[in-house]
Amino acid sequence: MKVLVAVKQVAILGDEVEFTEDDRDVDPDYLDYALNEWDSYATEEALRLVEAAGSGEVVVISVGDEDAEDSMRRCLAMGADRGIRVESVRTLDPIQVARALAEVVRSESPDLVFAGVQSSDSVQAATGGALAGLLDMPLVAVVTKIELGDGKATVNRELEGGLVDVVEVDTPAVITIQTGINEPRYATLRAIKQAEDKEIDVRQPGDLGPQAQRVRRMFVPPKGEGAEMLDGGAAEVAQRIKELVEEKMA
Amino acid sequence: MARDPKYDILFEPIQIGPKTMKNRFYQIPHCNGFGSEKPLNQAYFRAMKAEGGYAAVCTEYCSIHPESDDTHRVSARLWDDDDIKNLGLMCDMLHEHGALAAAELWYGGPHAPCMETRCVPRAPSQIPSDFEHLTYPKEMDKDDIREVQGFYVEAAKRAREAGFDIVYVYGSHSYLPQQFLTPYYNRRTDEYGGSFENRARFWRETIEQVKDAVGDDCAIAVRMSTDMFMGEAGTQLERDCLPFVELVDDIVDVWDINVSGISEWGEDATPSRFYPSGRLLPWQKAVKGVSKKPVLGVGRFTSPDLMVEAINDGALDIIATCRPSISDPWLPRKIDEGRLDDIRECIGCNICISRWEIGGPPLICTQNATAGEEYRRGWHPERFEQAANADNDVLIVGAGPAGMECARVLGERGMRRVHLVEGQDDMGGIMRWIPQFPGLGEWARVVNYRKIQIDKLKNVEFIPNTRLDAEGVKTYGAEIVIVATGGYWATDGLNGCTHDTIPGADASQSWCATPEQIMAEGKAVGDKVLIVDNDGYFTGVSLAEKLAEEGKQVTLMTHLGHIAPYMHFTLEAPNMHRKLHKLKVEIVTYQIPTQISEGGVTSAHVYDEEHLTEWAVDSVVLVTQRRSNEALYRELKDSVGIDALQSEGISGFYRIGDCVAPRLVADCIFDGHRLAREIDSDNPEVPLPFKRERHVIEREAVPA
Repeated sequence: MKVLVAVKQVAILGDEVEFTEDDRDVDPDYLDYALNEWDSYATEEALRLVEAAGSGEVVVISVGDEDAEDSMRRCLAMGADRGIRVESVRTLDPIQVARALAEVVRSESPDLVFAGVQSSDSVQAATGGALAGLLDMPLVAVVTKIELGDGKATVNRELEGGLVDVVEVDTPAVITIQTGINEPRYATLRAIKQAEDKEIDVRQPGDLGPQAQRVRRMFVPPKGEGAEMLDGGAAEVAQRIKELVEEKMA
Repeated sequence: MARDPKYDILFEPIQIGPKTMKNRFYQIPHCNGFGSEKPLNQAYFRAMKAEGGYAAVCTEYCSIHPESDDTHRVSARLWDDDDIKNLGLMCDMLHEHGALAAAELWYGGPHAPCMETRCVPRAPSQIPSDFEHLTYPKEMDKDDIREVQGFYVEAAKRAREAGFDIVYVYGSHSYLPQQFLTPYYNRRTDEYGGSFENRARFWRETIEQVKDAVGDDCAIAVRMSTDMFMGEAGTQLERDCLPFVELVDDIVDVWDINVSGISEWGEDATPSRFYPSGRLLPWQKAVKGVSKKPVLGVGRFTSPDLMVEAINDGALDIIATCRPSISDPWLPRKIDEGRLDDIRECIGCNICISRWEIGGPPLICTQNATAGEEYRRGWHPERFEQAANADNDVLIVGAGPAGMECARVLGERGMRRVHLVEGQDDMGGIMRWIPQFPGLGEWARVVNYRKIQIDKLKNVEFIPNTRLDAEGVKTYGAEIVIVATGGYWATDGLNGCTHDTIPGADASQSWCATPEQIMAEGKAVGDKVLIVDNDGYFTGVSLAEKLAEEGKQVTLMTHLGHIAPYMHFTLEAPNMHRKLHKLKVEIVTYQIPTQISEGGVTSAHVYDEEHLTEWAVDSVVLVTQRRSNEALYRELKDSVGIDALQSEGISGFYRIGDCVAPRLVADCIFDGHRLAREIDSDNPEVPLPFKRERHVIEREAVPA
């Protein structure tokens, strides 16, 4: 049982934001970095499947520079067996990332490929789908439950309004994992230390193709009209909110 | 980050008499236990606030003469040249930070028992103090009046010489000038008593004399209580205070306005249990309405929005803070730097004040473990040294107050990784349920501040929902392990009165409960409840209030002579009594249960054990004593053993907080802070000695 988990080190905005001089990105001085929230759930799900199977391995794969290994090490500390990082120092669009990942997946022949539903920084929800397309594998997106069968899996997909779509899919397949599917484990200090010694294989990307999308401008949108600012003490503000809610509900 | 422009008004300079304050932040006079006789502690403590951006910083009440000796409580003193030297250091250190120094000249009258000087205090009338039991004053004749006014003038000159920029003629809290103004204290029939003009005469003359003596060099401040809440007898706003402001406004440079007398000064230094921030604003605004001079005053302001509102609303010109400046001496600077979520907000518990009321010990603060430790332990609230063993990983088991504070400070000290592991789903420990008691919502700031700070520290990770056993701790991978598993209320009635359990007490029964069973676990109690309180602080009375508010018929039984005696020190007692009385809580003192069973309690009088009383009740709540939750610590130390821990790479193994011995939240936070500050000392388990300010004798100078 081999599961590949595609993970991403995402940027996190602080309270204040400044943009780079060309207005095409956030000034890195204003960013923190962390493992994408969805990817910790994907890693946990992969670990649980392999543990339940009794043997196999979980391989985390990522595209990025050396700093991205911080997030990969978090997954390794949770229990993933090894990592493969495709070197990339520049910003890639989701299709290019998927091309880089697809090459790795082909070389590993896994039973399942997991990705988070989306990344919290660029919020495109595109990489998982593109990866399935490039690999010619079935895709099931926004998954909240997985039951493995022989050469197939039964999975629950989260739909609008609390509906659940139960799907049977042939494996190998690409599955994008939704938060809440499990409770990701925490890594002990010992596991964190041991993860420092786990292998991360660094590979150079092949042809990633042309950039399909380019950022033209990044900005803070102007404040919209129609917002009513509530002034006064807490009690007055609370009273006004109560009235507004009652008006809307009437 | 930059200051939000909406707070700019707080940083505008303001003129007071011959002096200029660089902004609107003013540390009101408040005690710290240091006085003139621990001058280094005093100076370093006050200077921290100047460093934190305060434009003016005051002494505590500062006695003008040995006749005003508050021993056992600690005041500053300006009695002689040596006091000038000692308080001069504070002035110099404040000036280095660009702050003004203020001395609150004080003559206590009958409230000062003169236990050290053995003098007899003087007063307008011979009536014993309503605050200090058994202290009778000498009634002043006109020579006495001239003499005491002379004390003020001489002390003001000494204050100027020490370097003070602002000199008070302090009346509030029922001290001498206000005693003359107040019929409750002043029953004279001469020209110093009776009519408003006569009652105001002593204070007016004294201000005039002090102004003449030092007014060219020092700003003259007057601190006045504008309502004593005692009807005709007390000082009243309309009848006494506003006319007094009008009478002397020309010779006063700044007004410091509050309320209450001394015997219920919790109406001024309000516990958050009973009053929100800004409670004094109506009185302050009334004075501002008649004065042409700047008005300042307290209100336990921690929110810059409320501060701005107080100024824009025409209630105050200068924002005075007392307790919020203890909780966070860098309050102004954090507002200036746009770091609002770094403000360590006062929770209004009054544990600081309790130390003054107890008389003698240095102040402590629940929120700020470094308060009072600036000189003697060299602790800075905002600066932390990289630990010498910062390459270590630390495991803290338990995210209550001690564990959170320890994690925060170890994070600040740059430890490689700190894991704060908690069995529950969030941080806080007992401070998750204590703030659920009636009126104690602000106490949750203890948790909120630390959560925000821990979240900012990249080397500190909080791990919820994880209950580690000894094996889990041993193999966790930390070099330093700190156990902070807290405590629990005894379930068998063990107590500090009989030093034994109470027969029949058993909180595993449905009709018997402990505080945390009710508050944290939601255990139900019957309609008729008897609370056994051998603890004497907030838990028993808070439960009584909560259960009575829910409609239960509550009996509160203590072996002590008062319920919750510690609340006298925190100034919560008077209103707590009022509340419980209104809620018809039956209060039973000097009684200890001898037998508890389903449906009833038998109790004995503590001074007559044969006098038994039967109580028919549905439920019994045991607030008898707390115990350390030390099971994990004992297992690690006694069963696993230090050698086995060391062979796993654990070089440091400690415990902190209630897990060592149950105590005040302030002391738990101190304990966690202390260990983190000294984590790289030779033996972190034992506190490093602190610098003691004391007189060391030179043998050759000892008189024969």
